[in-house]
Amino acid sequence: MNILVVLRMIPDSAGELQLAEDGRSIDREWLDFQLNDFDDHALEEAILLKEAGGAKVTAVAVGEGTNRVLQMAAARGADEVVALQAEEDAMISSREIAASIAAMARAKSADLVLCGVQSSEDVFGQLAPYVGALLDWPHVSGTNRIVANGAVLRVTQERGAGVAVTYELATPAVLGVQTASKAPRYVSGSKLREASKTPIGRAAPESSGFERSAEIITLRLPVQGGSGENLGGDAETVADRLVSILAAKGLARN
Amino acid sequence: MASTLPLWILVITALALTAWRSRRYAFALANAPAAARFDRPMLRLQGVMVAIGMHRKMLRKPLSGVLHAIIFISFFVLFTATIDAFGSRLFPGFSLAPIGGETWIAALQDIFSVLMLVGVGLALYQRYVLRPARFDGSSGSDAAIIYVLIVLIVASLLLEAAARIAGGADGSWRPVASALAGLLDRAGIPAHQGEELFYWAHVGAILAFLVYIPGSKHRHMFLAAPNIYFRSLEPRGLAPAVPEAREAPGIDSLGQFDWKQQLDLLSCTECGRCQAVCPAYAAGLPLSPKLLITDMRDALAAGPSAAPLVGGVISEETLWACTTCRACMEACPVEIEHLPKIIDMRRHLVDEGRVSPGLQEALSNLTRLGNSMGKPSKMRARWTRELGFPVKDAREEPVDVLWFVGDYASYDPRVQEITRKVAELLTAAGVDFGILFDAERNSGNDVRRAGEEGLFETLAQSNIDEIKACSFNRIMTTDPHSLNALKNDYQHFGATFEVLHYTALLAELIAAGKLDLHVADGARVTYHDPCYLGRYNGGFDAPRELIRAAGYTLHDMPRCRENSFCCGAGGGRIWQGDDGVTERPSENRIREALSLGDVAYFVVACPKDKVMYTAAIDALGVADRLKAVDIAELLVPLTSQALEIPTVETT
Repeated sequence: MNILVVLRMIPDSAGELQLAEDGRSIDREWLDFQLNDFDDHALEEAILLKEAGGAKVTAVAVGEGTNRVLQMAAARGADEVVALQAEEDAMISSREIAASIAAMARAKSADLVLCGVQSSEDVFGQLAPYVGALLDWPHVSGTNRIVANGAVLRVTQERGAGVAVTYELATPAVLGVQTASKAPRYVSGSKLREASKTPIGRAAPESSGFERSAEIITLRLPVQGGSGENLGGDAETVADRLVSILAAKGLARN
Repeated sequence: MASTLPLWILVITALALTAWRSRRYAFALANAPAAARFDRPMLRLQGVMVAIGMHRKMLRKPLSGVLHAIIFISFFVLFTATIDAFGSRLFPGFSLAPIGGETWIAALQDIFSVLMLVGVGLALYQRYVLRPARFDGSSGSDAAIIYVLIVLIVASLLLEAAARIAGGADGSWRPVASALAGLLDRAGIPAHQGEELFYWAHVGAILAFLVYIPGSKHRHMFLAAPNIYFRSLEPRGLAPAVPEAREAPGIDSLGQFDWKQQLDLLSCTECGRCQAVCPAYAAGLPLSPKLLITDMRDALAAGPSAAPLVGGVISEETLWACTTCRACMEACPVEIEHLPKIIDMRRHLVDEGRVSPGLQEALSNLTRLGNSMGKPSKMRARWTRELGFPVKDAREEPVDVLWFVGDYASYDPRVQEITRKVAELLTAAGVDFGILFDAERNSGNDVRRAGEEGLFETLAQSNIDEIKACSFNRIMTTDPHSLNALKNDYQHFGATFEVLHYTALLAELIAAGKLDLHVADGARVTYHDPCYLGRYNGGFDAPRELIRAAGYTLHDMPRCRENSFCCGAGGGRIWQGDDGVTERPSENRIREALSLGDVAYFVVACPKDKVMYTAAIDALGVADRLKAVDIAELLVPLTSQALEIPTVETT
C-alpha cells in the first residue's frame, strides 16, 4: 500500500499574533510555525499502518519550516519526504493545495491519502473532501482508528457522546484523521540527527483550478481582557483588598 | 605433620569452590566494554587511602563508621592469625614466632579478638535493635551468616589458643585466652583434643567464609578498594558521554555496561546510605538506589535471562523516579556510580520513544522551540521590557559578563521578577553585561539527564555556536542547572568557558565593595543548597556570604551543603507527573525548614526552587509562617527601598 500523508505548518498559537497591514491576514514574518496537530496524528496513523501491514509512506509538507518536520517524519518512519512549494507568507488554503495533493497522489500511485481532519487555517476541514472530490475517491473525515486488511479499510469515526461508527471502504480513499489509534510517538534527538541526512524532495504546486468563491475581508484578533490580580497570601490582606475592590465597583459600602 | 595433606585438600577445594562461585562475575567483567579508569594512579591511590584508611564517608554515620573501623582493623590484625594457622600446617616449619608471633603479635591477636567481637556486637545492636530504615531491602540472612562466621572464626581462634595454654603453653602474652584456658580446664575439655578441634573449627570457618564471599555482600572486602581506586575522576557535573563503540545511545542489557559499571554492582555492601538520602525513595516512588544496584547485581549473578534489563530487571517507573540529585553517589562509601547507569538506561527508553506524556511534551517543545514550556523564542527576553533600562544584546556588542538566563528565569512569571532583581543588582554594581535574547536555548542539562542525548547535543551545539560568536570575558547563569551544563557538560564539545553562578558573581562584587546593600538586623533565615550548585559544583559558600552580607543570620537545616535534600525537580522530574508520590520532596524539605522553628525566609538560589518551594509552602498551607525567597530578593541596593522582613514566632 502506498500512503500519502499531508503535513501542514501552521502559526504557533503560543506566539504573539499580529495583523498584517491589510488587516486581512496574520503578519507571518515573526511567527514560529508548527506542525498542525491533526496532521501529526495522520502521520502517526500512516506509520502505524505501515508497521501493521507494510506500506510505503510518503510525507508531503506545506508551509514554513517544512524541512524540520519532514526530517521528523523520516525519523518516525516515512519512506519518502517531499516539500510542496507554496505561496510564501500566506495561509494554507485547502482549496489552493488540494489540486497539488491530488496530483501528487496520482504521481506516487497512492492508495490512501491521509491528512488531519482540520487545521487552524481550515476549520471546516475541507482538505480531505476536496482531495477526495478531485481524485473521485471515497473520503471519510474525523477518523480515530484505521485498520487495513489488504485493499479493504475499516475506518472508525467519532460521532460525539461516545458514539462511534465504523465504515468499510475500499482503497483508494482519502481520510481526514481526528486522532491516530495511538498517540503520536516521541522521536529521539539522535534519531532526528540521523534523519537530518534524509534527502528532501521538492514538488512544484499545481494550479488549483477553482474560481474564487469567497474571500476574507477582515481578520480580528482576540481583545485582551483584564488580567487577574493576586490578592495576596494572608486572609486579612485578601479581605481588605476584596472590600476595596467591591467598594470601587460600587458593589459595597466602604 | 599428619594434617598437612588434609589441609591442602581442604584449601584447594575451598579455593576451587570460591573460583567456581565467582565465575559469572569474572566472565562478565572480562567481557565488559572498556572503561578508561587507569589514569592518574597517585590521585586514585590517595582517594583509596582517604576512603578506607580514614573511613571518611563511613564515619559520617558515627556508630556504623566506628563499628566498621573496629571490625576492619581487627580483621587486619587477626589476619596474622590466619597466616599462622594456615602457614604452620601447609608449610611445616613455618612460624611467625621469629618476628613476635608468640609475643607482641600474640598479644595483639588476643586483644583484637575481643575488639572484633565488640565490633560485631555493635553491628548486631545496630541491625537488630536500632534497625535503621536504610537496611530495608538489604539481605538480612546474608548479614546474619556473616556475623555467625566472624564469631565462629574469632571464638575458635581464642579457644584454640586457650586450649594450647591449658596444655601448658605460655599464656603470658594472651590474657584473654589464658582466662578462657581456666574455663576449658573447669569444663574438663582435654587440652590437646580441644586445640585440634578448635583449630579445625577455625580453619573450617575461615574457608567457609571464603567460599561464602562470592555470593555475599562481603565481596566488598576484596572489591571496595579497587572500586574506589577506579572511581570517576571526571568533574561531578559531567554526565558520561555515549561511547563511540556503542551502536545505540542507551543500554538495554547488563553486558553493555563497561567493566567499572559492572564492578560497581559487585561492590555494593547494601549499607543503604544511598537509600536513606534518596528524595525519590523518601517520596514513596519505586526507586531505591540500593535496590537499583542490588537488583542488577542479582541479575548479573543469575546470568542471561529472558527478562529485559530496562522495563524488566529495572522498571521504567524506577528509572524515571530519579531526580539526578547525586545524593546517593555522594553518600556511597565505595563510590558506586548510580547516575551513569540510570542515565544510560533512560537513554535507551528515550531512543525507543518510551517516555511519559509530560516528558514527551517537554522534549517536543525543547526540540521545536528550545524551551520546555512551549513558548516562542522571541518571548524569551520579554522579562527585560519591564526593566527601567535596556539590556545589552551580547550578540551585537562586546560585554564583560554574558548572562545565560535559562528557561525558568526567562519565561516563568513567578521567577521573572527575580530575574529583573538580578539585572538591577548587576546594574547597581556597574557590571557590563548582556544576554543572548532569542538565541539562547535551554542548556540541555536536564535533557541530557533525562536520557535525551541527541537533543542535548542539538541544544548544546546551538548554545555553544551562539556563545562563541559573542565577545565576553565570563559567563554568569541564574540557573544552577545551566551552570552545570555550560561548565561541565559542554566540555564534551571542547567548549571550556569560565562560568559562574550569579551568587558567586554577586559575592565577588560585594567583596570588592561594588555593591552597597541595605543591611537587615540579623533576622534568621534558612538556605536550601541547590543540588547542581552545591553537590555538583561546590558552590556552598557564596550564597552563605551573600546572606551574611545582607544582614541575615543563617540557620542551616540539618540536611545542608553536601547533604542537601533535593527539591524533586531535577533530571527531568519537573516534566513528569506526581503519580505515586506520597510526600513531595519539596514538602518534606519545607517541613524540615519549619522544624527549625525560627526562620521566616526559606532562601533559594535556583529558579526551579522558587517555583517548587512556593508551591510546596502553598500546598502545606504555611504561607503565613514561611516564604520562599530567592537570594537576590534579600540583596537590596541602598538606592532601592529596604525589604520588610515578616516577624516570626519562634517555636
